[in-house]
Amino acid sequence: MIEVKEIRKRYRRRDVLNGVSFTAAKGEITCLIGTNGAGKSTILKAIMGLTPVSGGTIHIDGKTLIPELYEKISFVPDHLRMPASMKLSEALRFMADFYDSWNEKRADELMKFFRLEHSFKIGSLSKGTAAKFSLVLGLGQDSDYLLLDEPFSGIDLFSREAITEVFTSDLIEHRGVLLTTHEIGDMEHLIDKAVLLKDGVVSQSFQCEEMRSEEGKSVIDVMREVYRA
Amino acid sequence: MNTSEEWAEVAFNNRDPVYLQVVRYFKERIATGHSSAGQVIPSRRELGALMKINPNTVQKAYKEMEDQQLIVTEGNLPSRITHDTHVLSQIRAELLGSAVRDFLQTVQKIDIPIEELLLMVERQYKEMGAKHD
Repeated sequence: MIEVKEIRKRYRRRDVLNGVSFTAAKGEITCLIGTNGAGKSTILKAIMGLTPVSGGTIHIDGKTLIPELYEKISFVPDHLRMPASMKLSEALRFMADFYDSWNEKRADELMKFFRLEHSFKIGSLSKGTAAKFSLVLGLGQDSDYLLLDEPFSGIDLFSREAITEVFTSDLIEHRGVLLTTHEIGDMEHLIDKAVLLKDGVVSQSFQCEEMRSEEGKSVIDVMREVYRA
Repeated sequence: MNTSEEWAEVAFNNRDPVYLQVVRYFKERIATGHSSAGQVIPSRRELGALMKINPNTVQKAYKEMEDQQLIVTEGNLPSRITHDTHVLSQIRAELLGSAVRDFLQTVQKIDIPIEELLLMVERQYKEMGAKHD
């Protein structure tokens, strides 16, 4: 389980995170929802240890982030961070060299699934293709947790559908997924848990099916209540 | 038998629990003869992918259907629609009953004598039958 407790972050003289607490369980898809600038990406980066926080704790399976945990947790940022001059094949080799948990066979399957050619250049990928390749890099690791920053943002319908397919496949099975989005759209039926951020704190956190059966509300209904108020 | 198109066309609403909508979908398939007694149903993983819903939700739906004895799972074999004719006829009655209740709730708001209503139902039912032939 990923446990985020009371984390705080001040950025450019503004309190972006004001004591954020939530959990993301293994075997579940947890969605961190918030408007632009709500601090969603900052939270993912904080979990990965890529940005310092000014308070609070983050535990992954009960441990604070230690180097070995990078084999257990993979991060798909909102932009592909590989050098533009690399070919996809070179980027894959880079990952294989870097991570013990890299699963070459799985990466190859994903390349085929997304119809990506090894000879493509990173720098000339379209936004949708880059997003698919980012996902290959993230899912290619045998990690227990997968963090995805806005995996669907600015991507055409068919690429979205291909990515959605991954979320219902055995590629995700038994892993804990934590993804961020500012619009829930067609993901409503894919996610187990929603965490709604507002004004630097978690305003609501709930299991989607429980919300539907107990209050008859969709995730979008709750979002309306939280963000329109 | 279990071709992908056959299972894919479901429009879920966002407000009712998805797992209950899946259960209802199975009941409709049984009542309309699209699924028959003893038929093997897709695995949890397959159905999640076909319907584009969370596999945990499918898991919950299958558990519910097992509790209602709609499907049976023996050991490691794939789940099947039950052979129990009592359960199967109950499903038909349940679906028809709730459809009639919904219909009556809508019609109740309009003050109409039952005889007139039944005549209208009968006429429309025959017209629909004629169109289908």
